[in-house]
Amino acid sequence: MDNTAKILIVDDEKGLRIGTQRLLESEGFYVESAENGTDGISLGTQKEFDLAIIDLKMPDIDGLEVLQTIKKDKPNTVCFIATAFASYDTAIEATRIGAYSYIPKPFTPEELLHNVQQGLKQRKLLIEAERLKREREENLLAIADEKSRLNTVIESINDGVLVVNKVGEMVYYNNVALKLLEIEDIELGEYLLDKIPAKISNQIKEFLRAEDGLPKSTSEQIELKPNNELFVETVSSPVYHSDGKFAGVVIVVNNITEFKRIELIKNQFVSMVAHELKTPVVAVMGFIDLLLDKKIPLTDDQQHDYMSRSSSRLKGLIDLVNDLLDISRMEIKTKQREIEELDVREVFESTLMFLEQLAKERGIVFEQKYEENLPKLNADQNEVTRLFTNILSNAIKYNKENGKIFIEISSSKNYLCIKIEDTGIGMKKEDKERLFSEFFRIKNKYTRNVSGTGLGLTIVKRIVDSYHGKIEVESEYEKGTTFTIYLPIKTK
Amino acid sequence: MALIAIIDDDPDIIEASSLVLKSKGHTVLPASNPDDGYKIVIEQKPELIILDVMMDEPDDGFFLAQKLRKENITTPILMYTSVSKTIGFEYGQGDMVPVDDFVEKPISPDELVSKVDNLLQKVGS
Repeated sequence: MDNTAKILIVDDEKGLRIGTQRLLESEGFYVESAENGTDGISLGTQKEFDLAIIDLKMPDIDGLEVLQTIKKDKPNTVCFIATAFASYDTAIEATRIGAYSYIPKPFTPEELLHNVQQGLKQRKLLIEAERLKREREENLLAIADEKSRLNTVIESINDGVLVVNKVGEMVYYNNVALKLLEIEDIELGEYLLDKIPAKISNQIKEFLRAEDGLPKSTSEQIELKPNNELFVETVSSPVYHSDGKFAGVVIVVNNITEFKRIELIKNQFVSMVAHELKTPVVAVMGFIDLLLDKKIPLTDDQQHDYMSRSSSRLKGLIDLVNDLLDISRMEIKTKQREIEELDVREVFESTLMFLEQLAKERGIVFEQKYEENLPKLNADQNEVTRLFTNILSNAIKYNKENGKIFIEISSSKNYLCIKIEDTGIGMKKEDKERLFSEFFRIKNKYTRNVSGTGLGLTIVKRIVDSYHGKIEVESEYEKGTTFTIYLPIKTK
Repeated sequence: MALIAIIDDDPDIIEASSLVLKSKGHTVLPASNPDDGYKIVIEQKPELIILDVMMDEPDDGFFLAQKLRKENITTPILMYTSVSKTIGFEYGQGDMVPVDDFVEKPISPDELVSKVDNLLQKVGS
């Protein structure tokens, strides 16, 4: 784009028009001319001229009207009125309606050029003014936009946000903050520090006390309500004015209750696992130390007893590790399933056979009832076997000596129903509620000598859930327990 | 030669520890839960108590120790733990627990004997 100034000449006097054009062109300007008002308007409104020199008296349209029309459309075109009938009134009128100045006719080249130079300066100012104005408008628009955008953003986050000025008055907040900190009535500009928990206000006060605020953010985990009911993490940071002066503090409040709960559960789980893994190792070490210690005399029977007890503890440890691995596999769902059509009765009976010896040792008998033509089940055989084994072995282990186990497998329209009822020790209501949680083992006078990993029913529940089945437990303390498992079947 | 109570829910630990202590001429009173343990302590007044932390609950050994101390029973207590640096449970600070010695399982026969001897000597002097 060239920087040559564009000048429009509107004049019905041919000689003057051409003369002016030549003069200006020789000075390096780009010039167009119109020989009447109509053409002048059409040129002046179609193109953006830097300057327009308009003759006042033209036969078709009056110069003032041409001026007005061009100015209306191109307000930054600097217009001169050229007139041979210069009068004070015309001059006033011309400037009133937008002429920059008027040039009395006839004019010398010097006069013309001087006016053109002045006009171009004015043109520059006009354009700069317009640019500034536009910029300011854009800024205002941006600010308004920014503010509402910021509001939306801050309201939509899950963290509470509070901003206080350097005297502790609230200048900004979102509703999450009010809810988390249980602030009921507060208005912008109100003193905030006595309305929020002391631990947080102390954090803020530290910033306010330090002359220019503290240089860094501080964060703290605060238990707002005891027993892990409400735990927050607050991050306080100084806010500065654009000139670098300390303005206040922004506090971001993050509700970390759930995180804390999970952390606690995880830590407890790790502790429990460590304890459960270590216990059998300790027992075995105790026996091995005895067997190795020459100062402690042992009979052959004792030696054998300790070795076989060690062996069974180690077996228990293996079971536990396997259970843990199963659970973790189920959790990360990497376990490869082999879904096939299963004859449930067949799987169940082979599980029973496997457990027969265990039952015999305790004098426990099974009573079985199977519905004719049970529908097939689409499932992984290992998982179903595992499910039955865990439930049945519990029914044996937590039964009374010479007890009974009633088994009934039937089907409804949508479910296979496996009911296993024992005449065992049963459980209390509070124990029943914790039955499926990891490592939970009912401890009472009946269960002391029963071994187990505490994971059997956790696994059962997870298997049943993974098939979208359900499991029901009915139990009466000292009388017995009935587990009913429903597994969905494919209806044809 | 002393009368020593062992309160632990693991029968194998009781068995092995008892045998070690018996080989040194001590008499052992076994109990497999806090209630039975409490009864034995009250009724038979052992000279030393070996007490497991985790029995029916993860901390019931501590509660038994506290209960005994509250009742002004000053019999030395050697506490067995299996996971001493327990995370997620509110215990494990030795100074808060009213016991005389702490030992993290497993404990070798020699270590057990020397710990027991130490504690018995303390009472004797």
